[in-house]
Amino acid sequence: MQTAYQIYKRKIFMRNTLVAAAGILLLLAALVVSMNTGYTKLIPSDTFRILFGGGTDAENLILYQFRLPRVILAAMAGAGLALSGCIIQDVTKNPLADPGLLGINAGAGLAVLLYVLFFGTATFLAVFTLPVLALAGAGMTSVLIYLLAFKKGEGTSPIRLILTGIAVQAGIFALTTVLVINLDETRFDFVAMWQAGSIWGSGWKYVLALLPWQMVLIPFVVYRSRVLDVLSLDSCAACGLGVDVEKEQRILLFCAVALAASCVAVSGNISFAGLIAPHMARRLVGPKHSVLLPVCALTGAVTVSAADTFARVIVQPSEIPTGIVTAVLGAPYFIWLLTRK
Amino acid sequence: MNSITAENLSAAYEDKLVVDGLDLNIPKGMITSIIGPNGCGKSTVLKTLGRIMKPRNGMVYLNGKDISRLSAKEIAIRMAILPQSPQAPSGLTVGDLVSYGRYPHQRGFGTMKPEDRKIVEWALEVTKLSDLETTAVDNMSGGQRQRVWIAMALAQQTDLILLDEPTTYLDMSYQLEVLELLYRLNREQNCTIAMVLHDLNLAARFSDHMIAIRGGNIVRYGTPEEVMTADVLRKTFRVHAEIVTDPRSGRPACISYDLIRDEGDNS
Repeated sequence: MQTAYQIYKRKIFMRNTLVAAAGILLLLAALVVSMNTGYTKLIPSDTFRILFGGGTDAENLILYQFRLPRVILAAMAGAGLALSGCIIQDVTKNPLADPGLLGINAGAGLAVLLYVLFFGTATFLAVFTLPVLALAGAGMTSVLIYLLAFKKGEGTSPIRLILTGIAVQAGIFALTTVLVINLDETRFDFVAMWQAGSIWGSGWKYVLALLPWQMVLIPFVVYRSRVLDVLSLDSCAACGLGVDVEKEQRILLFCAVALAASCVAVSGNISFAGLIAPHMARRLVGPKHSVLLPVCALTGAVTVSAADTFARVIVQPSEIPTGIVTAVLGAPYFIWLLTRK
Repeated sequence: MNSITAENLSAAYEDKLVVDGLDLNIPKGMITSIIGPNGCGKSTVLKTLGRIMKPRNGMVYLNGKDISRLSAKEIAIRMAILPQSPQAPSGLTVGDLVSYGRYPHQRGFGTMKPEDRKIVEWALEVTKLSDLETTAVDNMSGGQRQRVWIAMALAQQTDLILLDEPTTYLDMSYQLEVLELLYRLNREQNCTIAMVLHDLNLAARFSDHMIAIRGGNIVRYGTPEEVMTADVLRKTFRVHAEIVTDPRSGRPACISYDLIRDEGDNS
């Protein structure tokens, strides 16, 4: 005979499987639809034909060299930003937190801007150096915010972290604006597009630049799901359960910064993805991180790749920055979420 | 035999010294209650004993071992601590929260082994929560929620549990329920319990030892009969108290009290 607990466990397992399957299907749908955007139309049947080896050279080039890497990059950036947001929300116990809060976007943006200022946008090196630079900029900003919010003997409180974050960000944005004014036209365009969240990297090299970061960081944070579970309780309760709270918070926040910085380096400043995707995932599967984190990566990937597809579909054959779409769609969803609670 | 010994303990918030040079024992296998007026440092003492707060000075020994040399997990296997009205993330179920109590015993991904599951089931049963296992904690009443947190501490399977005002915000029957549960744990499982309590009569009724604290110093340490005296309560709370013996429990009880008006309060 089955106990009520076993029945419940099975129900939960079914729910999680369903959510994962739905997420993967949506991701594939976004992929198929996004193939059909731009100058050359590739309707779904064309896409399948090319994928199974029946394409002309021109079709192969478009699909494999331009569109496929772009949609994969969008999905990867979405997954990374969503995971980063989820970790930050749970560690700071602030449901309104997102990677922007820790100065990641501002710091990474400043680093990108400085690079463009000195080296331009044309160099091949930019692809692999930008994630590193973005991480350095984001890392320095987050450390600055963390230190300013740190109070001896008490650590950091969520509210102090947020207020310091807002203040430091304002300073960096001011500095960014001053620097941007002095840029020439092409560089200005690049920075403006970056800040609006345009997935500018479209080529396998950008996927390759992001891949090592995610291959290390994502398994690492999923491995720490139990620590995140306990940390999302009171910090006193977490301490009582044997978690070295300050140390684990630092490790996890560092991972969150690295995840988000590597993403924004290639995808630009995509707003709201890191804020909303974790909320969607929590509503779907609840707060246990062993399930929440993978589902969160999936909702993030679906959100950003769908937004990126949308960004290219509505003004064909041109496009608008993906970050604008996530903001336009994300803000109402978020307001709806707030009014429900 | 002492579960916890503190020597020359000092604790401070920023520059404000709350506890200064305190010596204190929590005897093994007993229920000890810490009482005292608001802001006297009783919660601070509990937090430093439970290594949630780092002492400014002095030593805390857990079963004779220097607590600052033990790892977070090593401590968590020996001692559970429940903060005052702790928070759980929304949507977390009772069963999941209680299973977090197994954290210090698990490694790596920490999949629940059958023995972990048995312990969680036991903890739910003792706290009468078995039927509520799949309920979300944030949908429960204050009394139920307190029982969930106690169940989590039980799942930790420690010989010692520290609790910071476990009866706050509970009505009188829930207060009794929580304290009777702790009493049973102590008598049946030989679990050492140390807690901060506001209600003196409940403290006297359920404790083997009481510690009265004022201004970060111990006014009196002893049995309820030794601590619940008009003299100690006058020194601790600045009140005139009328102490009688509770006819049901045989323990001292304070039936009425007044503020002391003629004596200048210069604390």
